[in-house]
Amino acid sequence: MMKRTFGRLLGGVAIAALTLGAAGIAQAQEKKLKIGVIYDYTGPLAGGGSELHALGAKIMIDHFIKQGGVGGYKIEAIYADAQSKPDVAINEAVRLVEQEKVDMLLGFFSSAQCVPAAARVEQMKKFMWITTCISSAVLENRNLKYVFRTQPSGRQFGLTSMEFIAAHSQSKFGKDPKDLRVAIIHEDGAYGVDVAKGNEEGAKKAGFQMVLKEGYASTAPDLSALVTKLRRARPDVIFHTGYNPDISLFLRQAREGGLRFSALVGHGAGYGVYDKLKEALGKDVNHFFNVDPISIWQANQKALDTKLPPLIAMVGTEYEKARPGTTIKSAHVGMAASNAYVFFTEVLSRAISKHGGIDADALRKAALEVDLQEGGTMLGFGVKFEGEGSPMAGQNARAFPVIVQYIDDQAHIVWPKSQAQREAVLPFPATSPYAAK
Amino acid sequence: MDFLFSIEMAEAVINGILLGGLLALLALGLNLIFGVIDVTWICYAELIMVGMYGMYFLVTVYGVPIPLAVIACIALVAVLGMALHYIVIEPLLNAAPINQLLATGGVLFFLQSFATVAFGIEFRNLGIRLPVLEVGDMFISYPRLIAFGAALVGMVLVYLFLTRTYTGIAIRAIAQDRQIMTLMGVDSRRIYLITSALGGGLAGLGACVLVLQYDVHPFVGLSFGPITFLICVLGGLGNLIGGFIAAFVFAEIIAIGSLASDLEWGYVLAFGFFIVMMFIRPGGLLARRS
Repeated sequence: MMKRTFGRLLGGVAIAALTLGAAGIAQAQEKKLKIGVIYDYTGPLAGGGSELHALGAKIMIDHFIKQGGVGGYKIEAIYADAQSKPDVAINEAVRLVEQEKVDMLLGFFSSAQCVPAAARVEQMKKFMWITTCISSAVLENRNLKYVFRTQPSGRQFGLTSMEFIAAHSQSKFGKDPKDLRVAIIHEDGAYGVDVAKGNEEGAKKAGFQMVLKEGYASTAPDLSALVTKLRRARPDVIFHTGYNPDISLFLRQAREGGLRFSALVGHGAGYGVYDKLKEALGKDVNHFFNVDPISIWQANQKALDTKLPPLIAMVGTEYEKARPGTTIKSAHVGMAASNAYVFFTEVLSRAISKHGGIDADALRKAALEVDLQEGGTMLGFGVKFEGEGSPMAGQNARAFPVIVQYIDDQAHIVWPKSQAQREAVLPFPATSPYAAK
Repeated sequence: MDFLFSIEMAEAVINGILLGGLLALLALGLNLIFGVIDVTWICYAELIMVGMYGMYFLVTVYGVPIPLAVIACIALVAVLGMALHYIVIEPLLNAAPINQLLATGGVLFFLQSFATVAFGIEFRNLGIRLPVLEVGDMFISYPRLIAFGAALVGMVLVYLFLTRTYTGIAIRAIAQDRQIMTLMGVDSRRIYLITSALGGGLAGLGACVLVLQYDVHPFVGLSFGPITFLICVLGGLGNLIGGFIAAFVFAEIIAIGSLASDLEWGYVLAFGFFIVMMFIRPGGLLARRS
């Protein structure tokens, strides 16, 4: 009797040990990287471009999931909605890290969310890969160790648009730069303020007459006073940074308010979603400029790394499946897809193979070793992150934006000269309702 | 001194009057509901959002002529107002005001989320571009003129309805004393439903006007909800004339303040004025006599 009981007990222990052991082995075998992905899927920023970035990131994440992961690690993504609110973005980042136990965070559309979220994620010693938000304030003088951004900064956006206009001041406007009147208007969040700062710096450098610089809340129900001020200031060129509802409200009120000028340069976000601009403003959108990283569908594919063009095609196919009937493929989707791709291929694979894993320190070391020359990403630019001690630690020093001009439902790259596909049309032709008389 | 008499200042004053018209129209329905039923529809701007979607789909997707779409849209939001009263407000009529407020706040989030799921997060608009109106050296916005006209017409119609019709008089009577009028044979339930339909209809009219100038998206109410509520409080919640005047005062402060200083200062001054007035006249500019 005793023997039988002992035998059963021994058998039970053996089975339990085997089961637990098998589970342990399975767990050990299934290495996994859990990524917390944060964008705005609801709220005003969603339609202002965030949802398109989310789509781009998801296309690339799904691509690597289908491939079975990276370096033996499966990929699992947990998507969270920041609801166009900074407090929600921070709470979601904390929830993903503390409750969902993600290994890292990826995404972030709005600079207003990025600035506080980056500090919070750094506190938690987690790796944060920014695909979108551009404000310099996210990284500037903060010496963050675990936050990296492949995008150009807002300051670069602002400087680039001024350089572009400065280069055309004499030839297109027939004016010496010191006689060219420029106005800078912007939404008053971290994004708009940073780009406007770059604009101001660029205007001073070029010697322009800055006749107005003003911010406004992107939810303001009325911008007619801004239009009146601009009419009084008589700028030749308006440099505008905003999200979508405020951009279309401003341009409608500018038209109704009889505002006339010679050129309009937008800086990403709402200006990057051509379909929506066209829907809101019709043909009036013709000849607007937009500063953004290059659209991956417009990049000179011959100058890119040979493995990239098939990926660009794949992103395009998935984009069309998700958004049938798109007139101009938004640069937003390609931007997030390209930046996510750099993470998987350059950072994650290197962290696993060279630094022994996927913790924040391994990912950080791998990120700092990335050294891609121009043509190394779908966006055309290279990647080399500024390291510890630099005022912009974590910023990709090789990123640059380009300027496109919308002409008859086509987006043409017009700046920098090295990327230009055609000459810019400046000033507005007489057919534009905004054209100076 | 030159600035005070400049063409820009004249334009700012006119812009203020036109913005005031728009805000007055938005405040009218909310005030009416509070004045009669004693309940604040926190979700009022979201009803306007539903109306804007109604206009968008009727005009752009189904090709309904604009005048017909306006009538249909007003009717749609009027029915929605009645449904809101029947489903949410009526069971809470005798509950604490905070419960009523929370319930309509819940409807606000429900409508925002419903619109997100049903219509998506994209910005939509009618794509209508009205001509530019130039008077002397000044430019006047057509959509704002239409809003101003609609506000005036709405105000006059509501006034005539309340003073010249049996139902209107019953509405005013019940606003004065809920219990007594019920004892005198007035069907308060019916009156509340009619008032809710009227309030909803005014939200529908506001939607028809807003959609001419603003993109519609599930969160468009965020731009107008808080400011409409502040105007109602400034004018004295439930006071139609007070709300009308407060809308113009508020709009003029925004318009002139924004021109004289930074744009954001216009709003800071307007909200500062609101806070000061809450100390001086807590019942509003034209407080209702109890």
